[in-house]
Amino acid sequence: MLNRSSRGLFAVGLVLLATAGLTGCAEIQKAAEGAARGSGNERLAKTIHGSGTLIGGLLPIGYEEEQTIGQAIALQVVARYGGVYDQPDLTRYVNLVGRSVALTCDRADIDYRFAILNHDSINAFAAPAGYIFVTRGLLKTVKNEAELAAVLGHEIGHVTKKHILDVIQRSKQIAGVAETGLAYANKNPDAFKNVIDGAVKKLLDEGLDQGKELESDRLGVIFASRVGYDPTAYETFLDRLRTLKGDDRAFFKTHPDFSNRLSAVRSTISEQKLKATGILLADRFSRSSNEAL
Amino acid sequence: MNHRHTFLAVMVFMVTAMTDAAFGETLYVSAKSAQLRSGKTSLDPVVASLKTGDALEVVKRDDRWVQVKTAKGVTGWIYSGNVSESKPAGGDNELAALGKGFRRTEASGVTASAGARGLDKASESYANRAGITQQHRDAVDRMTANKIAEDDIQAFLKAGRLGEYAE
Ligand SMILES: [Zn+2]
Repeated sequence: MLNRSSRGLFAVGLVLLATAGLTGCAEIQKAAEGAARGSGNERLAKTIHGSGTLIGGLLPIGYEEEQTIGQAIALQVVARYGGVYDQPDLTRYVNLVGRSVALTCDRADIDYRFAILNHDSINAFAAPAGYIFVTRGLLKTVKNEAELAAVLGHEIGHVTKKHILDVIQRSKQIAGVAETGLAYANKNPDAFKNVIDGAVKKLLDEGLDQGKELESDRLGVIFASRVGYDPTAYETFLDRLRTLKGDDRAFFKTHPDFSNRLSAVRSTISEQKLKATGILLADRFSRSSNEAL
Repeated sequence: MNHRHTFLAVMVFMVTAMTDAAFGETLYVSAKSAQLRSGKTSLDPVVASLKTGDALEVVKRDDRWVQVKTAKGVTGWIYSGNVSESKPAGGDNELAALGKGFRRTEASGVTASAGARGLDKASESYANRAGITQQHRDAVDRMTANKIAEDDIQAFLKAGRLGEYAE
């Protein structure tokens, strides 16, 4: 909820918008006015009525739209990575670990769902609205539940920080059409496909910015540590990947190099005073995964 | 500075204006749901059930537990992993919700309600255009519908001595 003074500031912001010289569309302005009135904010409604207008497409993408975008990206991730690995018990286990971490992450009020991709490469992906994937190859490399928790925490970090949505909002396609809504998707399916394909290319082929990856590494250990997992497990895991992957170019394209990632994780552990709890749960991990992998 | 940048700058200004309400030592429930207990172990009786975003006034801290007072005046202990210093943004923050309101005006077929089986209309049409197989559509559909009971997650945490069940 907005308190009185911040409502005032919000109104000031709107006036600034109006004076910034945005030209607009009466229909959107009317809708904004209605939305504000509908939410009981008569003052905001009046401000919108009396001032300029807003461009809907430049506002943050709402959760409902995020779900549609996430689902479309998820379809492409599944298609490109050999489908989902059909092991209900292992999938449930991965979901239990992931949801335990998500329970106390910075965006705990949305649903997170986890699936295993039937692929030998070592990778993990997060699409918007909490569609998270790990490859069978990655699970084979993981040695305990604390490592898995941090990997899933990293992916959850991409979702809490809306990294892919950020890519979509910055993309040129959107700048041209100024609209990513469901109405837009339904009316312009080809343009929607371009938006999704662009996001998938970034996610699967080019990789996100190094800054976003390092931010997710930090969040990964913080989220896993909040649940009580030993944060140093993630260091061990990244170190193992460094040994395994060597100078694999394809892998480094989508992930910043391991020395940067390791130092980001180490400094997070010391700065945030994350406790080395010793909780790794290696037995529970092998019991749940051994036969299924 | 073009219009887009001006717009974003104003948006940042407004978001900052809306989130600076905290003063004193206030924490917010960051977990989806959390229990306030009479003592600082998971075995102590529950004195209040809290949900995401609830504001709590800090009384004192002790290792992994924080003693807090709720808006209704109930005092108790909460596991520190369940709270954060900043108010959680949530599924839709106010600006995003407002943006959705704008876009809604021309929305035609909106998605199926939460929990219903079947892909969203827009992603279904994406699947058609991108040539996604039925098998892969079903996989994402199942993933979307996958639910795990809150109690099962708590039991899982308890068995692993995680979260507030740590020793
Ligand atoms: Zn990542």
